[in-house]
Amino acid sequence: MRARAVRGRAFQGVLLTALVVAFATLATLVYTVVRDGWRSLDAKLLTEPPSISPDIAGAHPAILATIYLGLLVLVMAVPVGVGTALYLEEYANGDRWYNRLLELNIQNLAAVPSIVYGILGLAFLVRGLGLGRVLLAGGMILTLLALPTVVIAAREAIRAVPDSIRQGAYALGATRWQVVRRQVLPAALPGIATGSILALSRALGETAPLIMIGAVTYITFDPTILGPFTALPIQIYSWASLPDNDFRALAAAAIIVLLGIILLLNAFAIWVRNRYTQRW
Amino acid sequence: MVREAEVTSERTPIKLAPVARHEARPRGEDAVFEIRGLSVRYGDVVAISGVSMDIGSRQVTAIIGPSGCGKSTFIRCLNRMNDLVPGAAVDGRALYHGEDLYGSEVDPVEVRRRIGMVFQKPNPFPKSIYDNVAFGPRVLGMSKQLDERVERALDRAALWDEVKDRLKKSALSLSGGQQQRLCIARALAVEPDVILMDEPASALDPIATTRIEDLMYELKNDYAIVIVTHNMQQAARVADRTAFFSVESVDGQRSGVLVEYDETAKIFTQPSDKRTEDYVTGRFG
Amino acid sequence: MRITLQEDLDRLQADVQQEGALVLRSLRATVNALRTRDLELADEVIAFDDEVDDLYFSIAEGIHTLLARQTPVAIDLRLVLATLHINLHLERMADYCVTIAKLTKLVGGVEPDDDLMQGFDEMGTRAEEMIRVALESFAARDLDGATSLVDLDEFIDRANRRVVGHVLELGGDEEQREWGLRMIIVSRCLERIGDHAVDIGEQTAYLVTGEFREFTDASRDDMPDRRV
Repeated sequence: MRARAVRGRAFQGVLLTALVVAFATLATLVYTVVRDGWRSLDAKLLTEPPSISPDIAGAHPAILATIYLGLLVLVMAVPVGVGTALYLEEYANGDRWYNRLLELNIQNLAAVPSIVYGILGLAFLVRGLGLGRVLLAGGMILTLLALPTVVIAAREAIRAVPDSIRQGAYALGATRWQVVRRQVLPAALPGIATGSILALSRALGETAPLIMIGAVTYITFDPTILGPFTALPIQIYSWASLPDNDFRALAAAAIIVLLGIILLLNAFAIWVRNRYTQRW
Repeated sequence: MVREAEVTSERTPIKLAPVARHEARPRGEDAVFEIRGLSVRYGDVVAISGVSMDIGSRQVTAIIGPSGCGKSTFIRCLNRMNDLVPGAAVDGRALYHGEDLYGSEVDPVEVRRRIGMVFQKPNPFPKSIYDNVAFGPRVLGMSKQLDERVERALDRAALWDEVKDRLKKSALSLSGGQQQRLCIARALAVEPDVILMDEPASALDPIATTRIEDLMYELKNDYAIVIVTHNMQQAARVADRTAFFSVESVDGQRSGVLVEYDETAKIFTQPSDKRTEDYVTGRFG
Repeated sequence: MRITLQEDLDRLQADVQQEGALVLRSLRATVNALRTRDLELADEVIAFDDEVDDLYFSIAEGIHTLLARQTPVAIDLRLVLATLHINLHLERMADYCVTIAKLTKLVGGVEPDDDLMQGFDEMGTRAEEMIRVALESFAARDLDGATSLVDLDEFIDRANRRVVGHVLELGGDEEQREWGLRMIIVSRCLERIGDHAVDIGEQTAYLVTGEFREFTDASRDDMPDRRV
């Protein structure tokens, strides 16, 4: 009897240790960044373009670009992702081979390293389509990157809608489209929103694919959709590689800004989920 | 006849005029459904086989039988809900007011408007009470005078008084019995002429069950009601006619068949088939 | 709640009261036929019994179906079982009326004894009153009314006991002696009608209290309580 109790406590101890390790790592990271960067955190970081002098350097173009990229991903990834999920869950006949193939590939795509997306983008978008090294291309790459996650999250949300709701709607004489639009989508919306925002916040932190398709590291003017661009992660990387300590401090500050953006997005996702989730 | 003149007495007699007997509810003689040789397969499994029966309007018809005998499969044929099950194949004929339900020109959506369904577990939509009842009319383009429609449906489902002050509240805030009446109101809102009920009270407590049964008694004045129930006593209480399904071997395969179909009083006082008697007396299997 | 059960119960009660009304009619008519030696009226009483029988079967079938379909419990069950018994008692009463009518026809030619006829008239009137009290008590679930039937029955029992002595005193020729014997049977019929009315009262007591109990027992003075 005592052995069982001891084993139980030991297991609990192991779990607690794991929690502490994870938490401690995260806490250390955050602490380090904040310690290094908070002195450089001021308004000019947000409003000034970068410069060779760290005293007047800011990350304004990079922050803008990150925001634009985010919007592009939102506008492109969510409709396509949700549409795909709806097709797979509501319309597709699971026995057909092409649907099973589709199914399999989406799982795979989510695991592909982001650099591969970069190469893909370089080959097909920048050179193949002739877009050039522009913000739009960056947005499209990040969309592709975020897409599998959106699809998977949307599928989970759609699956979570009880089948009894659909049955009830069909029994009243609704068509499949009416059932999807008026019952399934509204009920799945919180889950879809949360999943999309999480996918988005991951995409915003990506550096490798953007570098692959030619985001520049030093840009002083505000970015446009079809113009050259940089992004916050890249700006951070660029500053962090400079020998000057002040730039390193700026990099840390910029990390705080990036973390702040992502934190805000996640908080928003949680709020959406809590506010709109139905208890079945 | 005894002459009235002889029947004088000093004291006030007990009423001698015959007391008005309870009028037998005039029952529609027309059949709403004519089923001939209906069989349903799910892939290789035969769910029901060779079912033939007529279902009348303005009465309650109950389907009873052990689990797996195909009761739910049967009524889901009546509103083409089996279409939604991949791999389901329906053979035989099901006529609704003389028209083949499975005819090539028949729109399942229209079928389901006219033949409504209430499910075993109440399934209100995660919307307000008003929006639940209004959903059917809205998707079917019957949105004129929606307020009246909703009120009428809720009233017929004996729920109006309880919810009239909170139509905008979530339907999920209602009790189980109220939710089921809401589902009935939802079905009534699109003006069907048949209501199918698949074990409508099995998830409810006894008082809520009685209310649903009393509701069926009221509704049968205007609708044909077909109810599947595993509770025999419920069938005995509410149904005018009762059909007993059982599982038998047909062509070497076990499937659900119709064993006996008659007036409920007959089924429960003197059934014609021994299998029926074994089932209703609880000596089944 | 349970609309159909209530309707079915109400219908059964109404039918039983109706049956009681028919029995009263029959009783009044048969006693009159006896007194006035109205053979046509006696025939009508005999024919009228069909109506009582029809109602009897209808009620019995109704009870059968109600038990099968509604599975009543508690007071509803006691009500249905009481109705079952009362139905039977009423039908027996009607049969006794028929017996009296047949006897009336049998002795049509003989001049009756006025005292005896007067006695029968009084017994008949008392029996009618008892039937009314029994049915009203049943309808009203009135226990006191039901138990009062025992005392009301006393009169008929005493009158019945006196009839034998009275017939012996009358004597007479063969025809009159035969008449006398038949009149003893008539008296017995009236006495049995009274007993059946008391039985109806016992059913009412069962309905109200849930106890099976005879109000009086010819053989013993102390009554065991048989609670159901």
